[in-house]
Amino acid sequence: MSVKWKFKSLMILTLLSAQMADADELNEFFVDKQDTSQTDTVPELRAVYRFDQANNKVGSIKNISLITAHSLPQLIKGELPGVYVSESNGEPGTSQQMFVRGLNKPIFTNRDIYSTQPLIVLDGVPQIGEHPFSFDIQNYDVERIGPENNLLTTFDIDNIESIVVHKDLATLAKYGPIGVNGVIEITSKKSLGPDKKRISVNSYGGFSARPAVTTINGSYENAFRKQFYDLFTTNGRYNEDDVYPIYLSDSLNNNYFGPSNWSDSYYHNGYNYGANATVAGGGNRSNFQFNLGTIQNGGTAEDTEFDKLNARFYLNLRPFNWLVFETLVNVNRLNRDRNKNLRNRYAMMGYFPDLGAPISPNKEVYDKYLDEFDKSFDNNFNNLLGGFFGLQFNVDRLRFKTKFGIDYNEGYRDLFYPSTILESNNFASNYYGYNQRILIDNTLVYDFQNDANYFYFEAGNSFTWDVFKYNYAYAFKGVNDYIKINLLGGDQNSSVFPKQLIYKFLDRTRHNMISVYGKGSYTYDNTYTASLMLRYDGSSNAQPTARWFFSPTLSLGWNAKNSLMADNEQISQLNFRASVGRLGIYNMYDNYSQGPSYTAQIGYTGNMIVPSYNAFAALVRPYEVGWVGYDIPWSYMDEVNIGMDLGLQQNKLQFSLDAYVRDTKDQLVMLPGKRDFGYKYQYESGLDVRNMGVDLGISGDIINKSQLSWNSGIILGFNTNKILALPNGLDEVAVDNRLLKVGERVDAFWLLENQGIYLTDNDVPQQSGQLLTYRAIDLKAGDPIWKDQNGDFNIDDEDRIVKGNIIPKVSGSWNNSLRYNNFDLNLNFYFNLGRSIMNQEMSNRFNFIENENAREIDAIKEITYWEKRGDYSKYPLYNPWSSVSPYQVNQSLFLENGSFVKLRTVSLGYNMKDVLSSKYSKKMDLYVYLSANNLLTLSPYSGRDPELVNYLGYDLGYSLPLPKTFALGFKLNL
Amino acid sequence: MLDIDSSRLVSEENMWLKLEDSRAALMGVYGLTKAALNDHNAHWLYGEVRSGDFSIPIRQDLKAISSHNLSPSYGVMEDLKSWRRFYAVINAANIFIERVPEVLANDKRYTDNNMVVDVAQARFLRAFAYFYMVRIWGDVPLITSSQEGKFTDAPREDQFKVLAWVQQELEAAAADLPYRYSVNDPQQIGNYYNEAPSRWDGALARKLTAYALLAHVAAWQSNYPDAATYSKFVVDNYGKAGMGLIPSETLSAANGFFYDKNSNQLLGFGHVYNHVEGSFTGHIEELTLATPVVDKTIPDMFLPKDKILQYFNEANDQRFSADTLGNPTSENYFRNFNGRYPIFSKIKCILGGVTNPTFRLFSSATVFTRLEDIYLLRAESLAVLGETNGAIDLLNTLRERRGLAKYAFEKNGELVDAIFHERNRELMGEGHRWYDLIRYSRLKNDNSPINQMIRANAIYWPIAKDVLAQNSKLTQNEYWK
Repeated sequence: MSVKWKFKSLMILTLLSAQMADADELNEFFVDKQDTSQTDTVPELRAVYRFDQANNKVGSIKNISLITAHSLPQLIKGELPGVYVSESNGEPGTSQQMFVRGLNKPIFTNRDIYSTQPLIVLDGVPQIGEHPFSFDIQNYDVERIGPENNLLTTFDIDNIESIVVHKDLATLAKYGPIGVNGVIEITSKKSLGPDKKRISVNSYGGFSARPAVTTINGSYENAFRKQFYDLFTTNGRYNEDDVYPIYLSDSLNNNYFGPSNWSDSYYHNGYNYGANATVAGGGNRSNFQFNLGTIQNGGTAEDTEFDKLNARFYLNLRPFNWLVFETLVNVNRLNRDRNKNLRNRYAMMGYFPDLGAPISPNKEVYDKYLDEFDKSFDNNFNNLLGGFFGLQFNVDRLRFKTKFGIDYNEGYRDLFYPSTILESNNFASNYYGYNQRILIDNTLVYDFQNDANYFYFEAGNSFTWDVFKYNYAYAFKGVNDYIKINLLGGDQNSSVFPKQLIYKFLDRTRHNMISVYGKGSYTYDNTYTASLMLRYDGSSNAQPTARWFFSPTLSLGWNAKNSLMADNEQISQLNFRASVGRLGIYNMYDNYSQGPSYTAQIGYTGNMIVPSYNAFAALVRPYEVGWVGYDIPWSYMDEVNIGMDLGLQQNKLQFSLDAYVRDTKDQLVMLPGKRDFGYKYQYESGLDVRNMGVDLGISGDIINKSQLSWNSGIILGFNTNKILALPNGLDEVAVDNRLLKVGERVDAFWLLENQGIYLTDNDVPQQSGQLLTYRAIDLKAGDPIWKDQNGDFNIDDEDRIVKGNIIPKVSGSWNNSLRYNNFDLNLNFYFNLGRSIMNQEMSNRFNFIENENAREIDAIKEITYWEKRGDYSKYPLYNPWSSVSPYQVNQSLFLENGSFVKLRTVSLGYNMKDVLSSKYSKKMDLYVYLSANNLLTLSPYSGRDPELVNYLGYDLGYSLPLPKTFALGFKLNL
Repeated sequence: MLDIDSSRLVSEENMWLKLEDSRAALMGVYGLTKAALNDHNAHWLYGEVRSGDFSIPIRQDLKAISSHNLSPSYGVMEDLKSWRRFYAVINAANIFIERVPEVLANDKRYTDNNMVVDVAQARFLRAFAYFYMVRIWGDVPLITSSQEGKFTDAPREDQFKVLAWVQQELEAAAADLPYRYSVNDPQQIGNYYNEAPSRWDGALARKLTAYALLAHVAAWQSNYPDAATYSKFVVDNYGKAGMGLIPSETLSAANGFFYDKNSNQLLGFGHVYNHVEGSFTGHIEELTLATPVVDKTIPDMFLPKDKILQYFNEANDQRFSADTLGNPTSENYFRNFNGRYPIFSKIKCILGGVTNPTFRLFSSATVFTRLEDIYLLRAESLAVLGETNGAIDLLNTLRERRGLAKYAFEKNGELVDAIFHERNRELMGEGHRWYDLIRYSRLKNDNSPINQMIRANAIYWPIAKDVLAQNSKLTQNEYWK
């Protein structure tokens, strides 16, 4: 009896961990399913109610592996309802953002993104990401210093058993505050597979196609500008001081007016390959697995490339029936050849060279410039080490598990630019940083069954220690371009670089967390389930007076099929579920925990790094970062989720739906500070944001014959958000370039509304002799007609309206798998609907008067300045010299519909099993395929690609295009 | 495990315990003042560009400022309209004055005398910030306590009341400040914060700094008797402060007066190159230098040739003079005189005080006042008060040092005009011009465009919209409504 019981419990747990998150899950170590040593027959498994929706995991790992992408966000884009992936850059190895069930806070700067990202759990170890604290020493919010490689690449997709997203509290709550933005669990294959194949080899090779672009030269730009001079000037000069750019002045200058063929050197095909192999072995009491893998992903511009090497070792031992030991080590090396963008370079150096002329569009001139990069280097890599070891003790119905996990990654960027590309000054920088998470998890589980009643109890605690650190140094004007030294080394560098031009930084921050929880659930007759989880979390980043946070979650489930229609043959599955609960949200920054504090920040625009006066360290209030007061409570998320799963005709047609209301409350938000006390910002808690939405998945076999089948699936995530409350009872507040307003979206733009152009001065409305003004400036002919929303005869911020949204209202995909005999064809469409883009690139183009020679980070002209982009005919010809900034970006003129549908993947495969097994071995399993990605985009957006939009919803035109890729590959199992 | 002392900042409980804390907090007030003056090169945009003397080839925002069109919000305009950085100075000084007695109680190394001198500097810097703001915005809220966590909204105070308070504060500071630091001045015994005089010379506010500022505060209010008294104190006592008038070569040498820090910078905020404080921005060089002085095609601002000839109209001027053919005989102030863009290169501290054109990293100090400024301010005061001979003596002292003949009415015109003319030449590019023009116009009281602006209160800047939004008691300057 007891033996059988133990086995039964194990089997249940095994099933759960291998498949779905469950109310009764104990994130269990794998135990070989084939282990039947305790009994002769495998007892029938009891169906336990699943709280998660059926479509919360990636439907077919094999299908997504055909995308030949290298990062998790790329792989799951559109595959999971309620998970929106923003792939804003086609440069290989750069990061993508993920948003689970929308956005619950405003995004003002890059650093806000870090606290919206879901937790990634790789084989039970929650991954530590980068920390945004280095932005404190950066003058420009362009990209974080360091390698900035995509860290979500540390696995081989062919080794993955499942990718599951946890979105609602029923399954999310067990991760606690670190999982509040959603959890994506990646579980790698640990089994040898049902047919005990021991070797698997997968490989593909292919290329990313060079994009086709239209280039332009100086005469095109001249003709474009001439329209404005013709309209608004009489003699080609707007006023006496007006200077026409020299590079556009001389039409005989072949560098700017000759052939514009730079694209032959800039764009190219990129070559991609991937290969991985797995060897597995062992038996009933022990097994192991060893994988090696590599991926190279070539970009289509500027010789960008991303490489990774991955090695993974897994060992599972069961020396006694009551003891299981498991360990996993995952080692990765990521390497990236980065872009050569001027903007990124200048932002990093904080130095703007003379911007009088952009790089010539002529290939010969451009090639000479590129040749100088041969003297440079930019070594950009990460080493990652992660894994765990754990023990599980089984004593009758009591099970105890303890796990020690570590996730460590270190990043390096060693860089040198020769003097020839920067006004005869060379530049070197070195970065070393690491992020480290150590955790200890203890779990105790007890369950028992009494007739139809099944009880399950779990208690656990966990300790997490996070450390983030970096050392960074850069220097200018080394003695020559040959001697290159590491600035992070000793003092020997002062002979190579002048010590007055060496800037060094180091920073370190920590975050510790303690959690305890208890959970109990009860299932009656395999039909009704109720589960309650209570947890208590303490964070070192919470203020001492509010260190701990208590949060409960209640989940209910009903297997309606069992209780109402057990005999119905049409309906094969019908479940209903509901959950309601709360979860705390921890702060990423430790300065919130201190209350009012002192920092060394006494810098100013363009020179933020000043830490001292007269070489004495300074300590002042954080006027730049903002005032942080006392009595900051934990912010938290309340969520109600209801869902159902329906299966028809032996689940040939499956339908799964979840609807949620998620309120994120008491959030700390950056508000404008009290200027009269020196503060740029202040942090106040009390921002409440509601996200509502529906996650939907439908899949079914349209044709299912032995020779021919067609399976089609649609995944849809609907999401909308609105601000419920602002701190201090405010109704609206403007922060930087956004307006937060109760009742409006948190990711909306804030824009003036265009209604045309004033063709003559007489068209400007008058009221008792006073002309309509823009911020007290009289409007004139050639100025935009902006709608005076409040009718006060002055256009200002009061007349800006809240409009549009960054996060799409609907995102998802439509997947089709067709199989004919051993052939299969997959078609994957990806779409975003109901989303808007600010086309800042066009604003910059038309705003050439303000942008010419401007030392503005968003006005830098890359070589791609000489590419024809956008639709010029959409914009009226305003007077670009006007004081009212007619082409400022934040107006509805530049707001565009960013909806799109993409044919993301087409793949054709052939399973050679039949051919091979007759000839060679029965065990052999070979699949060969051709795949093509990103083939077609349908979108009303007039810019390059509606996906190439930054975190603020603006398309600046600096990112590399998302390429079309083609690959040929195979998957072999022996 | 949950109590972590941050390594990134200092919490309230770890502050105000040691001598090093008071030093760091005081240096912070200096650093914030420097940041307020240097942010977007504000000191020169307010003081030089606004005067309209310089021509602006490209930058739309500078063009707007130089034509008194302060409504636009492009470029740096919104930041220049905001007084936030000055109030950061004031808040930091208020906190310092309120909290520094805690250090006295906690650290025996911190002496009463040290605290008195520290508090005097904090009061000086706070008063300086108010004076600076009054010149830009007119009426400003007078906030003299930190009010941490409460931050009560205060209305704008009448500028004359603010300046009366400033004067009172400066007098109090002047009484406590030493002539020099770490030289056993009776008011500051021993090495200040255990550092030698070379560490402090030119870096901190001194007794004469306070008097110099008092003279400026009085002159700004056309209170010339007071201006004469305060400036007299500076002129009579500069020997005690290790100061002197500077020769022409030193004035414009790349490693001269503006380079590093020195006692002659009566109120200066250094970018000390050897302290890794050189920077790309926060210097007039960023605005004025271009080819052939540095590798930049077009300067952000330049003084056109006709204006140069109009201002430097006397022979043998060591700063700049041209012969009858229009060829420069002295190029200390201007290079490329006959080119499309004459380059104003009086201040050109590149890197470690060199003439290397390739890297635009500058190390000049932001100098608010120096002895020559106070000489001329005193001359101006005496001239207005009718003590003509005294005024002429002071003026001639400076003229001789620049290679010019003695002042003569026939050649140089009215004495007051000659003094302001000299101010323009001597202090060009140091952020005085706009305020000098206003004082000059007030004296003339004619119908010049600047006097019209003074009467319409158009000399003040509009207040940034984000500043207006954060305090319900503020009102926009009438002219810019």
